[in-house]
Amino acid sequence: MLGFLSPPSAHSPNADDLNTLYWVMLVIGLVLLVAINGALVALVLRFRSERGRQPRRLVVKRPAQIGTAAGFAVIALVAFVLGIVETDNAKTVSASGPDGLQSAAFTTAQRTLGLPGASPSSGPLVIRACGQQWLWRYEYPDGTYSYDQLVVPVDTAVVLHLCSTDVVHRWWVPGLSGKFDATPGESNQTWFRADETGVYDGASYAFSGASYAVMRTEVRVVDVPTYQAWLQQQSQGIQQAQAFVQQVNGES
Amino acid sequence: MSDGRTIAPQRPELITEGPPPARPRWLEMAMSSDHKEVAALYIGGALSFLVLGIVGFLLIRLQLAIPQNNLIEPVTFNRLLSVSSATLIALFALPLAFGLYTYVVPLQIGARSLAFPRLASLAVWLFLFGGGLLYVSFVYTPPETGFNNWPPLSDTVFTASNGPDVWITAVGLAVLGFVLQAINLAVTIAKLRAPGLAWRRLPAFAFSGAVTSWTMIVAGSAMLAALTMLEIDRHFSGVFFDSGGGGAPIYYQHLSWIFFTGCYLIFLLPAIGAISEILPVFSGKPLLSRGALMASTAAIMPLGLLAWMQNMDSASIPAGFLYFAMLMALLLVIPLGAIFVNWLGTIAGGVLRMRAPMVFALSAVSLLSFGLVGELIQSVIPVNWLLASTTASTAATGYVLVGGSVLGGFAALYYWYPKMTGRTMGEGLARQSALLIWVGAQLTFIPLWLAGLRGQQVDIFKYFQAGDAINAMHLDALNLIATIGAFVLALGVVLSLVNAYRGLRHGTPAGHDPWGGETLEWFATSPPPPHNFDVVPDVRSAEPLRDIREAIRRRERSSPEPAKATEPVA
Repeated sequence: MLGFLSPPSAHSPNADDLNTLYWVMLVIGLVLLVAINGALVALVLRFRSERGRQPRRLVVKRPAQIGTAAGFAVIALVAFVLGIVETDNAKTVSASGPDGLQSAAFTTAQRTLGLPGASPSSGPLVIRACGQQWLWRYEYPDGTYSYDQLVVPVDTAVVLHLCSTDVVHRWWVPGLSGKFDATPGESNQTWFRADETGVYDGASYAFSGASYAVMRTEVRVVDVPTYQAWLQQQSQGIQQAQAFVQQVNGES
Repeated sequence: MSDGRTIAPQRPELITEGPPPARPRWLEMAMSSDHKEVAALYIGGALSFLVLGIVGFLLIRLQLAIPQNNLIEPVTFNRLLSVSSATLIALFALPLAFGLYTYVVPLQIGARSLAFPRLASLAVWLFLFGGGLLYVSFVYTPPETGFNNWPPLSDTVFTASNGPDVWITAVGLAVLGFVLQAINLAVTIAKLRAPGLAWRRLPAFAFSGAVTSWTMIVAGSAMLAALTMLEIDRHFSGVFFDSGGGGAPIYYQHLSWIFFTGCYLIFLLPAIGAISEILPVFSGKPLLSRGALMASTAAIMPLGLLAWMQNMDSASIPAGFLYFAMLMALLLVIPLGAIFVNWLGTIAGGVLRMRAPMVFALSAVSLLSFGLVGELIQSVIPVNWLLASTTASTAATGYVLVGGSVLGGFAALYYWYPKMTGRTMGEGLARQSALLIWVGAQLTFIPLWLAGLRGQQVDIFKYFQAGDAINAMHLDALNLIATIGAFVLALGVVLSLVNAYRGLRHGTPAGHDPWGGETLEWFATSPPPPHNFDVVPDVRSAEPLRDIREAIRRRERSSPEPAKATEPVA
């Protein structure tokens, strides 16, 4: 019964924060909903017109009014404080786990800054996710890229830098994160740390024109050796393709 | 008769000016600056566009009834989506609200006309012309850039057709009309109240009219600015929303969300006003606390409008701003909660007459509670990251649109219909209509909420039934039920429209005060003469008609000769 009302099961710590708060708000909401509609039905049944009865006016005193307002204010403030706490939690990138890619930050630093032999750390794997009509392009730290399918190692903190080359897109893979915009000219980011291998379906969630509905994406979470093998294979494939294009251009 | 203090069926001032030139009725109506004729154009136009908007959404729901359906081409779907959502918001909900206010507010405050009668005529024609333009565009290029026409998608680079121009012009003209009429109503309420009708004695509906007008002046102006800049971007090499040229697309998002947040409030405010009029009259006792209700109504406007960024949680905005918007959105629970407590306390202890306006008002209270609770759940940033731009957020907004503008608006129509036409609508059809709308809304929006929870996007022309864990959760069944629900809802709406049409000829003659109302509009004849009142009474309380009835009763007791029932006590 409750499974019916629950959001997609969380496979990342920040998605877990989202789901927790959803449940809190849902319970508050359902209590209010039952109270209002229950009272409405009960009052209508109780006070339907009868012969000879006179309307009886209720008297509300100032303390009762202030008490009611204070009651609702408490709901608002509790939700506000929880909201800030969970927003902060969900935004904080946690460290990669023991099964994850340990040297992600090291690799990135080495490639971009050319630092030799920096100490391995459990920093996040930074990937650029660029939306364009109507696909997602993922750029990995070593310069490899892939379209539509993002391949990441399990138990590794992955930070996505969102960008757009044309119109506004919005990245979301249920269970892994929240929604974040890829707007041209703005930088935005989200992160996730998948706890299980498998394929997670997602899509773009901002209307982007004719083929918006088919602008889908998926995240394939694999173990670290598979990830490294895939990265190498993808990189080789790209190099071969580029060599082929150069060859064709050179001949023409 | 001779002292000029009775309600006279004649129109002495027209006779002194000589008989007016004979014109056909429709021309008279089109050129009239009488607030009641203008309101008839507003309401008639709004209900016609409601039918068109519903047809559009039924087609959309048919396309989404089963997975990977190919009933409607993607481009056609996007056109239907863009036109129908603009229709329901800007051509149904807003004009219905302004039509009701334009009709009722001058009568409720004891005014003989609006502050600027000609401006009202201009305003209604701007709306009708804008709406007409949107639908005429199906002959050439209808808009296809979604419900909010966001740049860069709506810029010439990505949409070269004239679709976005149509959207800008149509919505722009209509909104310009609403802003002008909002100014008109705000001035009318501020300046033309009857002697003694202090702000604190203002009827709840007229007061909500003032708040709605202020909301529209702020929200509509923001949209007009945004549309002007977008048009300059499109055709006069502007760079307001072009990130390459020093502008930013996010500016348009801010401005358009201020507008759409304002529209959301205008789904809500007229319904709050109307329900707060209807519940006391049909319960036989006054509102639980007028002061609390009016303060709450007024508080909705600043809190609601300041929460516009709550729709932009996924954008790259510094956290502080988002926290502020979240706080404003959450604080709305205080005035809205107070309003619900007020309504429940009003019917508690009353003697409820379950006539058509009351049935609609009670159903509206119920649906509004669903929509507002849905909105409360989404007000928190992390939950919004989960539910935004899924059909769950559509469902929450849809509940408020149907509960507020449709059920609340119809409650108001059923309530004031006898004043407008002199006849009442049928009770049987009314009950069936209210029931179908309530059930249809639940059948539509509960499955949409659940589908959104499973990640179904808004605005997609087809959805996929993939084999993964999320989509395995009955997305197809949910969409099918939602489509069936939409048809039930539409049938309910049609029943009320049929009822309104039948009532014009076949309704029961109603008399001047069919419900025993306490506010000044029931002091005028049904329908009222062009000048509304021969004599405007002094107002001594928030319930002027009760005072008048009591004065008549006192006079009957003291004088041997009974006074005429229609004689006013000025």
